[in-house]
Amino acid sequence: MEDDKLEEEEGAIEYVSYGGEHHLPLIMNLVDQELSEPYSIFTYRYFVYLWPNLSFLAFHKGKCIGTVVCKMGEHRNTFRGYIAMLVVLKPYRGKGIATELVTRSIKVMMESGCEEVTLEAEVTNNGALALYGRLGFVRAKRLFRYYLNGVDAFRLKLLFPRPELSSGRFIIENEDMPQESERHQ
Amino acid sequence: MTQDDDGSKAPSPINQSIIPSGDQTVWTDVSSLLQSACTDLWDGELIHGENFNLFAAMSALEIMDPKMDSGIVCRYYSLDEAIENGAAPIPVSSDKTDDVQCIIDIMDHLLACEATWHKGHSLAQTVFSCIYLLRLERTSSHALLYSYCRVTRATCNAVVSAVSEARTHEEEDIFTMTYGLPLKGDGDEKCVSMLHAVDETISRQLRACKAPSSSKKRVLEDIEPLQTNPDLEEGYCTAVLCRLRFRKHFHHVITCMRRPQGRGFELARKHIATCLSELECILKSVVFIRSNCVCGSYEDEIDDRTTASGRQPIGFDPTLNSRLCAPTPPRAIKIVSWKKAIEYFQKLLHDLDIICSYPLDPLFEGVLNFVTEFQKFKPDLVARAHLQLLLVQDGKLYGRDPVFAVICKGAALPEVAKNHDIQNNEFILQLGQLVLTSLKILCTNSAWQRRKLGKIIQDWRILYLQLELAFRKDYGEVPSTSNDENISIKISKHILVWVEEQTYWIALRFLLLGFELELYSPNDYCMVYWYIYVVSIKLAEKTHLKLMSNNDNARRKGKKKKDNLKDAAKDYQFPPVVLLLQCQIYLAEGLTMMLAALRNQDKAIKVLGPFNTEQERFFQHFELLQKACIPDQMSYLSFSESTNHARFSTLHMFNYFKDALKIAKELKSSFSGNPDRLAELRRIEQVAEHNAIALNLICRLGTLDPSLKVYFEYSHHSHFATAVVKRS
Repeated sequence: MEDDKLEEEEGAIEYVSYGGEHHLPLIMNLVDQELSEPYSIFTYRYFVYLWPNLSFLAFHKGKCIGTVVCKMGEHRNTFRGYIAMLVVLKPYRGKGIATELVTRSIKVMMESGCEEVTLEAEVTNNGALALYGRLGFVRAKRLFRYYLNGVDAFRLKLLFPRPELSSGRFIIENEDMPQESERHQ
Repeated sequence: MTQDDDGSKAPSPINQSIIPSGDQTVWTDVSSLLQSACTDLWDGELIHGENFNLFAAMSALEIMDPKMDSGIVCRYYSLDEAIENGAAPIPVSSDKTDDVQCIIDIMDHLLACEATWHKGHSLAQTVFSCIYLLRLERTSSHALLYSYCRVTRATCNAVVSAVSEARTHEEEDIFTMTYGLPLKGDGDEKCVSMLHAVDETISRQLRACKAPSSSKKRVLEDIEPLQTNPDLEEGYCTAVLCRLRFRKHFHHVITCMRRPQGRGFELARKHIATCLSELECILKSVVFIRSNCVCGSYEDEIDDRTTASGRQPIGFDPTLNSRLCAPTPPRAIKIVSWKKAIEYFQKLLHDLDIICSYPLDPLFEGVLNFVTEFQKFKPDLVARAHLQLLLVQDGKLYGRDPVFAVICKGAALPEVAKNHDIQNNEFILQLGQLVLTSLKILCTNSAWQRRKLGKIIQDWRILYLQLELAFRKDYGEVPSTSNDENISIKISKHILVWVEEQTYWIALRFLLLGFELELYSPNDYCMVYWYIYVVSIKLAEKTHLKLMSNNDNARRKGKKKKDNLKDAAKDYQFPPVVLLLQCQIYLAEGLTMMLAALRNQDKAIKVLGPFNTEQERFFQHFELLQKACIPDQMSYLSFSESTNHARFSTLHMFNYFKDALKIAKELKSSFSGNPDRLAELRRIEQVAEHNAIALNLICRLGTLDPSLKVYFEYSHHSHFATAVVKRS
């Protein structure tokens, strides 16, 4: 009984895809509040204008309480999705909202032909690391003092199943890899 | 640009004085143009061009946003304005006693700034937040302040040059960024003698204070006291002296360590010892300093401060230089506390001491062991840069041993080989470069190191294939062992084995670094240990092959004497290095099978995400090794084939952990002179012992008792897990 009541009080969470200019200040507010890195308005515009279908917002009683911002594109011969920002307000955490947001983005990436999805997370951000771990992300690299605040990051990667993997054969790639620009991929 | 005849009449007088109009250009008022442009594009709007990428978006800064705009004026427009406003007076205080205390505060804060810089912040926002340092010549009338600042500057300069030369600074390019800073000064090479003179004067004064009172008066007349209160003179002299001397000897340490081929190491060690004892004195001086400062703070509060006294130092402003930083948003800088700064320098000196006491092992294997042992102490950038400068100088090991000679020695070839023509072979030259590059990579921080090793492993593999091809072309099919094989064939055979050994060594290091960097999650442990197991087997195989071929001659003679092959085989002992690897192989295999049985029998939670399977996880973890075919023929299929059938009912028949334990115990006598190896053996013993018990318990009770929970800890070894069995 008690639980039902609470549920009712809380109300349902509504998820919407990025719908235009009116959503931009909502996203910016959330991210500015919760993430350590400072982003200019151009960074937000870069993402939501080019990939509006990969950005989602979560509302509770009309208030925006969570958002995910992503991109996708060619990266060294792979078509790769990238999760740039994921935020859920503190009182709303632990209810699976972030998982739902990010799952929606990943599904669109998968349907759009992405081979993998990557992102960076602070090594101290246990909540995010656990969330992505459950979704099948692997810690591919550690990036030394990646953030402006001096904290290391993990590069997380989710590889989608693909046919050529099952053959178990690989060819040595003789490639002179260019220096990665890890911070701005 | 539109030419406006009227406009040219009334240009702003300021503009005209700065940049005059030229033949093609003229000053014009564009206010109205801007005004109309402003109505076209609103604040925050963006014209999206083809080339506008994420980098461009991220590089855009919002002016007047303190989080992003590093040019925002905080207190002063310029250094001159700060000085005019009295931000860095000389003397710091008109009261001589207070002046000395203020100088000590400046010294302490500078040390904290220096440690913060070494820890990865910009020089501009740390050490060069000191206004005195930014205008050093201003302080020349104040010998104490002048000499201290000058030696600090000279040391920073020496450290910058060491780190930039080593190019070990990885992503920390911020470290060597000195643009616009007065880092180099004429005559800075004399900074030590200047400091020495000040040291002499204060030492004399200190001796005078300590002298019996009868002679005191006479001596005091000769020298000017440091400050005006005779009761405090001794304390202040002592506090200042240890700070000066630390600087002097630290400067010596850095210069001695730069001498080629480690020739300055013995002397450097003496200076390191002095530095450490002066740091002790500095720590002790806190009692005197705090008893004379009215700070009004609690002890624990003072511990977070950047000075011994707990006071704010005079003459620092980190915002003055923020415009000199790279075109990135200003980094939030918290200067480390004075206590932490001293701890940092103690650690740095200990790390440098390890480098200075290294006997420059001519054997490549010894170099690798030294570097990995050294890295276990998690040395910071400055220490790692010095290690790298020692290892690779002028394209030679230690600036002394030509790479080909090092390879020959490593590959257990006779002395004559190192002069062989083969060293001019194109691929052998490439191999030499690869060896040096790999050594440099091993000196970098673990995160960077793992990424670079993952890439260079491809180069090792490719070079192996190229060498094999080249040798076959030059010397034909390598015949099976013959007594009178020619030296060229011998060299090529040995080198090929050696290259493979190094390749597997790097692969293993790549895998093990994943533990240190926390890249593996418990659901991946099984495949990680399996990979460690297959790579270790290859490594042991190659190492054994190398050592065996070395002993060929010796053993042949032995066989002739005994004339009994069977006996020889029975007597044959595996070399200790190979047996140590065998221990690790058993541990890795044991852990793989235990984890696989847990997985197969539902004792461990299988984490399956909604988007992919274990196979994708496998490929992601080992992609770089798989691409380089390390080891050959090993794939996800091999992993699942060897682990899918693991069951507790059959596991108890194998004695992985017991076998590891047995070998580890026997091996101790072989490594009696090697404390690092002995420590490793002890750790292996502990893991093996605990896991043997745990495995036994699970095998007996596991399937019957559903409340039994198994998890893994790294309590005994940094990368071999210990199983813990508990009833939930």
